This record gives sequence, C-alpha cells and structure tokens, in this order.
Amino acid sequence: MIASRVHAIVAAGLENPELLARWKQEPESLGAYGVDPSAFDLDAIWKFAGLSAKVKHNGLRFDLPLTFRFLSVCRLEIEVFGAYAAHKAKARTRYALTVEGRIVELVDFLRDWLDFDKREHELLWDVIRHETALAQLRKRTPVVKKSRAPHVVGEIMLYEMTCDPRVVGELLREKSFDPDRVQRCVVHLCYWNPGDPQDIRILELDELGYHLLSLVDGKRSLADFKRISKKLMSALNELGSVGVISLG
Amino acid sequence: MKYVTANSGAVAVGLAFGPIVPEFVSANPDLIDYVEIPFEQLRHSPEAGSIQETVPVILHCASMSVAGFVPPDDGTMKAIEREAERTRTPWIGEHLAFITADAIEEDQPTSLTYTVCPQMSEETVERVAINLATLQQYFNVPLILENSPQYFDVPGSSLSMVEFVSAVVERCDVGLLLDLTHFLISMLNTKRDPVSEIERLPLEKVVEVHISGLNVQSGIAWDDHALPAPPVVFDLFERVMARVRPKAVTLEYNWSPQFPESMLVRHIDRVHEIVRN
Repeated sequence: MIASRVHAIVAAGLENPELLARWKQEPESLGAYGVDPSAFDLDAIWKFAGLSAKVKHNGLRFDLPLTFRFLSVCRLEIEVFGAYAAHKAKARTRYALTVEGRIVELVDFLRDWLDFDKREHELLWDVIRHETALAQLRKRTPVVKKSRAPHVVGEIMLYEMTCDPRVVGELLREKSFDPDRVQRCVVHLCYWNPGDPQDIRILELDELGYHLLSLVDGKRSLADFKRISKKLMSALNELGSVGVISLG
Repeated sequence: MKYVTANSGAVAVGLAFGPIVPEFVSANPDLIDYVEIPFEQLRHSPEAGSIQETVPVILHCASMSVAGFVPPDDGTMKAIEREAERTRTPWIGEHLAFITADAIEEDQPTSLTYTVCPQMSEETVERVAINLATLQQYFNVPLILENSPQYFDVPGSSLSMVEFVSAVVERCDVGLLLDLTHFLISMLNTKRDPVSEIERLPLEKVVEVHISGLNVQSGIAWDDHALPAPPVVFDLFERVMARVRPKAVTLEYNWSPQFPESMLVRHIDRVHEIVRN
C-alpha cells in the first residue's frame, strides 16, 4: 500500500472522526481510495483522535484539576475525548479559542453525551460542574445590584448534585480512587461569589432553600414571595383537608 | 541568556517546558541543566522563550514531518532556523513521524496539530532520507529523530518499530532521540518484549533520552505527560545507560500544572542516580 496514500487516509480520519464512522459503516467508501479497508484499525484511529482532543484541552487542567484526575483514574479520557472529537467533527465546529470557551463547550457536550445510568458518568458530571462553577466565579467581579426586590448579593450558581463533589475531591487525592466509595446522596450546593473573586464560598442548602434561592431573581418582590408562601400554605392545607397528609 | 555549553562528557538532565517549569526552575536553579522547548510553543507564545534567561534551552520540534510526503513550507523552516540560532540549541529533536499528509479529496493537505507514526516500510525510510537531506540544510546543528509511539498498525508497514528506527538510522546516519515511553508504548501495543527489543536498537546513536508517563485506556497504551513514568521506564533507562552515554535526558512532565513537585524532584534524582551508576 502506498505510504503517502495511507498517511493521507489516517490524517483525514484523525482530522475528521466522522469519516472513520462512515468508513466503518461503508468499507467500500474507504476502498474507493485504492486501499484495503480491512487493513485500517478504524477504532484505534478513532481513539487516537480522542488522545489528540485530550491534549488540546491540557490548558483546562488549571481550572479542572479534579475533572482530569477523575477522567484519568477512571480511564475515561480516551472514551470521552474520542466522542467529543467526533461530535465536533460532526458539528463542523472548531474548539473555542479561550480556556473559558472550551470549558463551556465541553460541559455542554457532556450534558448530552453522558449516560447518567452509569455511576462514573454521574460523578464526572458532578465534579466538572463543581469545578466549572468555582472557575467561572473566580474570574468574575459581580456588578453591585441595586434593587428593592430581594436579590443576590454578588453572583451565585446553583447545582443539584448526586454526591458531595468536595468529598470526591478528597478521595481523588488519595493514592487509589474507588468511585463506589462515593456516597450517593442528593446535595444542593450554592456557589457564591459575594463580590470578591478570591473569596468564593460554597453553601450547602436544604431543598427548600435551594429552590427558594433559585426564585430570587431581583424581579420578584417580597410581596411575591409572601404570595408564594401563602399559596404554599394553602396547598398544604388543601392536601391536609383531603387527608393525604397530616399537618401534625 | 543562558546556553547549553560544549559537551563535557557529562549527561545533562532537563525538563520539557510546561506549566510547572518556570516556577520549578526558579525555585530549584541547580537541579536541572536545561529546558527543552518546542519550536511551536516559541512560535505561538514567544514569551515562553524568556525561560532562557534562567536556564539553557534545547529546541524540540514537531513541524517538519520528517517521515511524511508533504514538506513543511519554507516560512516554517526559516522560523525554526531562526529559533535554532537564537537559542543556540546543540541539536534539534524532531519526531520520526508525519504531521501533514496529502488531502484525500480537498485541495489543501491535511495538517494535524500532533505527529503520527508513519507507515514503517522501506518506502518511508527512503522518504526520510530525502527529507532529512533537505531539512538539515537549514541548520548548523544536527537534527536528531525521536521514535514515535505506535498506537495501531499502520497499513502497509513491513518493518517493526525497532527495524524501522534501525533502518532510518543506518540509511541516514542520524542521531536518535530515544523516547523510552514511546518505545514501551509501541512494544505494549504490538505485544513485543521491550527488554529484548531495546537491545536491538542502535543505542550507540542515542543523543538524547525522553522519559514520561503512560496509561492504558480502551485497550491501548497511550502517552501521558501528566503521569509519572512507571518503574519499567526507568528499568529500560538503566539498560540504555549500561550500553551508552547519551548527552541529555529530558523528563517530559509538561501537561499538568498539578504534577507534584516532590515527584518531579524524585524522578530527577532517580535519573541522576542511574546516570552516576
């Protein structure tokens, strides 16, 4: 097989993993280039494209150290970045030029791609959102808002997690990491930049506090919240009157 | 600016330029002899070159597509030439690989951002010889070639990695940058014994050694400069040192800003220890 032709095919597949998928489905389309399709390990080339995509995201390691450690110890890097490279090729888009942009794009991809029936994928989703929130808030100086309605002081990001990602972080710092040791529990976290990017805080909220905080948008007035409260009490009373709950 | 001094016979120990290096070098000025820096980094982020105010630099490169069939453009070659002269690098390490290839449908060649193991055949050996003869003309210092990691069988290959590297070295009379981790990866992925295979390499041509980490994922061993080299890489290094004395040994831990400094110091010490013994 002519070397230059082989190089051309390997390079085209690495540059555009969508081609690899097509050649896998239709080997004759690869054979049309005058090569033996069975000689090409398309799966391995696809994975190599994943390694390349991973290396292109090394710049994110400053902001996402735990995410990369998690991907490494769970041996998910090639799988995740292989799929990401293929996704980008299919969408015919290039990676964002800035670290911030690449983080946003990666998170967007994972939101759709991850299989949340897999515990490792769930944990990855928790860890990357945790680190993304911290990274994004650290880079912002919130505008001081003046509003007569209840409003957030500074800037917050709210996430419902399937574990406490801080615990995952501690476990990841140990010599070996076993995802099964991470306790599954619903955790509501508020990442809060009170006005100083050097002082990002993480508040653990109960479910009511979490949802209440999500309603604080600087537009709903205190009266609105009182109405919501009244409606909540009225709904509870109605459920009590039906008998489905007891109000104690 | 600091420059690599004339060869004193000692084996220099250095680090590949990466996020932890500037701070590490200023905190440990006597621990390493040089920093190896890619031409591509200097081209896109010239400020990285300021490291040479603190420590000498050896130039590395991934742009020449030595084992490819699409030559680099003259502008790129002249830019490498300028960096070679500016840094006064004692040699330029380049991958025995391709980074650009003919297009399969479009007019423009496919340019990748990373090097790929070529077809390992007599045809490629001849091509490397032709390319090297042209490329070497740009430089007053020697080009040396780095073995690629082999992640999959490249169709049409008739030579093993060891046979290919040996054939290139013999045909081109070129120095070798032996990346021990690439070598181990190639052996693992082609199910060969690294210990017996390394003895078959033309070790007397080794000018520089690379050491880094690797990991196995999705059934393949991969290069990983965010991880420390496993003991087997140091075992291979000991075998090499029992046969030859390269001029330089570079630890490539340049992907992660979180690479532990204590680990880095331990591995530098380990290299020094092996070199001494």
